[in-house]
Amino acid sequence: MLEKESIQSRGFRNVSQGGKVTGFQVAFRSLYYRGVWLSQLRPATVIVDGESFSGEQVTWTISGKTYAQTELAQHGEVNWPLLEPAVLTVRKPGGLAQGIHDVEIKYSYSCSYMPPVMDELMVQLNGPNKRQLVLV
Amino acid sequence: MVNTEKPKRGVSLYSYSGEYGVTMTLEDMLADIHDMGAEGLEILANGHIEGYPEPSDEWLENWHRMLKKYQIKPVEYGHWVDSRRYPGRELSTQESYDSLLRDIKLAHKLGFPIMRTKLGVIDDTLTPVSNWREFIHMALPAAEQYDVRMCPEIHNPTVLKSKMVDDYVEFIEKEKTTRFGLNIDFGVFQTNPMQLWEGMPPMEFSPVEDIIPLLPYVHVCHAKFYNMSDDFIETTTPYDKIIATLIAHQWDGYLLSEYEGPNKEVPGYASGQLRRQHILMKRLLGEA
Repeated sequence: MLEKESIQSRGFRNVSQGGKVTGFQVAFRSLYYRGVWLSQLRPATVIVDGESFSGEQVTWTISGKTYAQTELAQHGEVNWPLLEPAVLTVRKPGGLAQGIHDVEIKYSYSCSYMPPVMDELMVQLNGPNKRQLVLV
Repeated sequence: MVNTEKPKRGVSLYSYSGEYGVTMTLEDMLADIHDMGAEGLEILANGHIEGYPEPSDEWLENWHRMLKKYQIKPVEYGHWVDSRRYPGRELSTQESYDSLLRDIKLAHKLGFPIMRTKLGVIDDTLTPVSNWREFIHMALPAAEQYDVRMCPEIHNPTVLKSKMVDDYVEFIEKEKTTRFGLNIDFGVFQTNPMQLWEGMPPMEFSPVEDIIPLLPYVHVCHAKFYNMSDDFIETTTPYDKIIATLIAHQWDGYLLSEYEGPNKEVPGYASGQLRRQHILMKRLLGEA
């Protein structure tokens, strides 16, 4: 079962490449009632302790595959399953310090059966996705 | 078709969306529906089908096992033709048809005779995409072959006497088809709407009798509800009048409960509301 909050406490960790800490990861689930195609997603911004990460600094991993944020728009055949948290990997050399962090994720998606103006507002309807997480 | 049958009870899994995956599994929801003596089921395809749009054989086997175990009848397969699937452009007619065809086949595989076909819209009054006639027309033979009926949902703020509904009826008559019809959401009949969020604009609603001329095209209804009182009254919508009208006109489709009130994420809350609503519907339907 998933945690009730959008941002999951499991999956919050630093990531390394070649022995160097290159950034961190955070997992979150959709609070929408259906899965969406990746091409419906709009790029995410991750804010940790007031510091913002967006664009190329963030990648999405869904069902084991990793996508640059600019690639999402092309993947209209890949569904983000409703019960599967997406993992955002954020580039931040050195990663985050051990301890407590305030984490926020902003993102949006298109919703074809609602007036077009809603596409950019879904982020507000589903938010705020904020949680205090503990990095071990 | 005139007969003496009555409307039947069912539940849309949408009602449990605040708990699904957190405090309830798919099987829990089916068990819950069975427990309130309801039989009909609506799922949301890209929510409740693991591996959508290509569920595994193992998932399908388990699906059919659960339907049997809980004596559930698949009624409506909720799905979307996501016209704004790609940023900056609308789906082409061919892409829309391809998406529709895939869902028609999957609905059939899962045993659903009706599809809640949600179309993309182009404005604030929910006017459907301009090419809907083309891709629905293309899909009619497949709907025939796979024995499903595609039904857009008529949902507030749309009213029953409207250009949108007239256009759908005109299309059905022109095509002489039973493979495309309507799902009427009871939210259109509200007489005492709840203020669901601050700044919710006032809406126009339809009198119950406006459904009568549409009944030949209505294959299923969303028994939308917002608030069941502890003495089993739905406080926003005239259920007594709606169900009496359906019975009087021998409409015998499924009423699929859709809870859209507050506290959906409170464990057990939606289920408690559904159970209250099913007491109301049993009484109005004359079920013991």
